[in-house]
Amino acid sequence: MIKIKGIIMSFLSAAFLLVSSLTYADETCMSPYMAKIVGQEDYVYVWTLGVEGLGDEQDKLVTIDVNPSSRTYGKVVSVLSVGGRNEAHHSGFSDDRHYLWAGGLDSNKIFIFDVHSNPRKPKLHKVITDFVEKTGGLVGPHTFYGLPGRMMITALSNNGDHGGRTGLAEYNNNGEYIASHWMPTDDDLRGAKKTGKIADGYGYDLRVQPRRNIMLTSSFTGWSNYMMDFGQMLQDAEAMKRFGNTMVLWDLHTRKPKKVFDVPGAPLEIRCAWGANNNYCFTTTALTSKIWLIYEDDNGEWQAEAVADIGDASKVPLPVDISITSDDKGLWVDTFMDGKARLFDISDPHKPVQVFEEQIGSQINMISQSWDGSRAYFTTSLLGNWDKTGEADEQWLKAYDWDGSKLTHKFTVDFYKEKLGRAHQMRFGAYSLYGKNPDTKRLAVK
Amino acid sequence: MDIRFFIIFIFLSNNIVFASPEYSPKEAEVLAPGWSDNIGYKLPEPGTYDLYNVDNAADGNILIENGDNASLHSVMDDKITLLSFIYSTCTDINGCPLATAVFYKIKERLANNKDLLGKIRLISLSFDPLFDTPEVMKLYGKDLLSENIDWRFLTTKSYRELNPIMKKYQQPVIRKYSESGEYQGVDAHILRVFLIDKNKVIRNIYSVSFLHPDLLINDIKTLLIKGK
Repeated sequence: MIKIKGIIMSFLSAAFLLVSSLTYADETCMSPYMAKIVGQEDYVYVWTLGVEGLGDEQDKLVTIDVNPSSRTYGKVVSVLSVGGRNEAHHSGFSDDRHYLWAGGLDSNKIFIFDVHSNPRKPKLHKVITDFVEKTGGLVGPHTFYGLPGRMMITALSNNGDHGGRTGLAEYNNNGEYIASHWMPTDDDLRGAKKTGKIADGYGYDLRVQPRRNIMLTSSFTGWSNYMMDFGQMLQDAEAMKRFGNTMVLWDLHTRKPKKVFDVPGAPLEIRCAWGANNNYCFTTTALTSKIWLIYEDDNGEWQAEAVADIGDASKVPLPVDISITSDDKGLWVDTFMDGKARLFDISDPHKPVQVFEEQIGSQINMISQSWDGSRAYFTTSLLGNWDKTGEADEQWLKAYDWDGSKLTHKFTVDFYKEKLGRAHQMRFGAYSLYGKNPDTKRLAVK
Repeated sequence: MDIRFFIIFIFLSNNIVFASPEYSPKEAEVLAPGWSDNIGYKLPEPGTYDLYNVDNAADGNILIENGDNASLHSVMDDKITLLSFIYSTCTDINGCPLATAVFYKIKERLANNKDLLGKIRLISLSFDPLFDTPEVMKLYGKDLLSENIDWRFLTTKSYRELNPIMKKYQQPVIRKYSESGEYQGVDAHILRVFLIDKNKVIRNIYSVSFLHPDLLINDIKTLLIKGK
C-alpha cells in the first residue's frame, strides 16, 4: 500500500553517484545525532585529572594511538594540559564531532577541544569560564550530550547550598549559553508527575530516544559530597543521605519534565537501546547495586523497574560505567570497588543474566567499546578524592579484544608511570569522520 | 547533462519500521520518521513551549533561480524560513530527499491554510555548486512548486561563496575526488534543517531523527503565537 496516497515524490538525481556516506555506527554510548566511526578507531582521547606532585600536575587531554596498523599503536601521541586542576570528569562531542567538550566538576570550567583539524593532536579551541553565572547557579558540568547544533549539559550541583539540586544547561555549538532547565523537585514539580514518593531534583547523566521524543536524566550527589574525601563521607551519616534516588523522563522537544521515577541508590550512567523498536534504556544504581530498566510499556507509558542485581550488594561493588552493545544484547557493567567488568545478556531486557566476569585491576571506572564490540577499553579514576589509595591506586588505560567469550589484553598505558595523572573518560577519534587519513590529513575535504 | 538525471519514485510501505538511521545498526532497513504520516507520539500543542534563540542565521552570497546574485538574507526576507542544505544528485533516501519530501508535505498539509502558508518561506540551498547550477536547481524544483507555496531553490557561484555559509551553519561536507583529482561529488554530510524566525535568528535545528512535517508546522505555529 502506498503510504503517501496519491503522491509520488519525484527527485532529480544523478545516475547513482556512489554515495558511500559515513555509516552511522561506532561507540555505543554516543549521542544518536552524530556521525559514528565505522570500524577501527584511530585514537582514544582520555580526559585526565592532574595529580599534585606528578608531572605538570595539570588536567589534560591525553591522546592514545589505538590503531593496530599504526607504528605508534598503544602509545601516547599527544598530551594537552589545560593549566590547573578542575576535577576533570566527563566529555562529549558536538553533533558534528568536530569538537570535544570536557568539564571540570570543581572549577566549573568547560574546555572545548578541536579534534577535527588534526585528530592526532587536538588543540584547545575555547574555555567557558562563566558556567555558574550564565546558567543561574548550576554547578558541576558533567555530561556533554550533542544535540543538533547545540550541547546539552547536565550539572551535579548548585551554588546555593552545593547540594544535589541541579539542572541542565543548553549551549549552542559556538559555546554560547541558550537556556537552563532545572530538575523537578517536591517543591516545584514543573508540571511533572511523581510516580513514587520523591522528587529530589538531583542530576547526573542524560540520554535521549528522539523517535520517542524522550529524554532521561539520572541522579548522583552534589559538590559537597563529590569533593569530599571518600572515607570521610562514608562515615558521615548526613552526607550519605545526600544521594539521588530518582530518574526523570522529559519531553525532549519541549524540555519539560514529565515523570519522576523512584530509583533508589544513585542511578548513574544511562544507556539506551539502539534497535528501531527497542524503546528502553538501562541504568545502574551505585549504592544498591542493581540494573534498572526504564521502558515504554504496551500502553505507551514509561515505567521504571529493577531487573537484576550486580554482584553482592552487601559488599558494595559500586557499579559505575556501563556500555550497551550495538545489537542491544549485551550490557557491560564496571564495578569500582572490586575492579571487575561484568557482561550481562540483556536479550530479554526485563531479565538480564550475567554471562561473564573478569577482574581488570584494583579499581576500574569507565568502559568504551567499539561499535562491533570487538574492542573494549577500561580506565580507572572515579573522582580525585574517591579513588583508592596506596598500591590500590592504579591509574591506567587498558585495551582488550573481545571475542564473545573472553577478553584478550592488548596493551596498557600506565598513567602514573607516564606522569599523566588519573585516567577518566574516553572518547574515540578517527580520520574517517573527516574524510582524512593519517598520511594526507586532507584526503577529500576542499 | 540529461544523462545524469532521472526520476526517482519513492513508494512507502505501511510495513516499514521507522527509525533514524543515525543510531540504527540496520540503517539500510529503516526510514526516518519524516517519511511516515504519523510521527509516532503525541505532539506538544503549539504555543505551549519555548523555542530558544539558538544562534543568528548567517548571511551569504547566493544565486537565485534565474542566475542573479542575491544575499541569503534578502531571500529570507521577513518571513519564517525553513532552510535545508541539499544537493540534487543525492540518493541517500534519509538525506536530502527526506528534507525535500518533508518540505513537500508541509506544502500539502497547509494547502488549506493559505494564511499560514503565506507567512513561511522554504529554502533549499545546494552545497554542490559544481553540479547544481541555477538552471539545475530550477529544474529540481519544477515539479515541487505550486501556486501557493513560497519555495526557493538556490545555489552558489562557487565554493568561495558556499564555504563561508556552510561554515557558519556548521554543515560539514566530505567530497570525493578521483586519484587524478577529478571531483566526483559529495561523499557524506549530516542532514540539518533550520527554523529561522523573521528576525533571522535560528530557533530550532532538526536532524534525521525528528525531522517531520507535523513537528515543523507546530514549531512554526509556536513562533507565530509567541511572537504576538
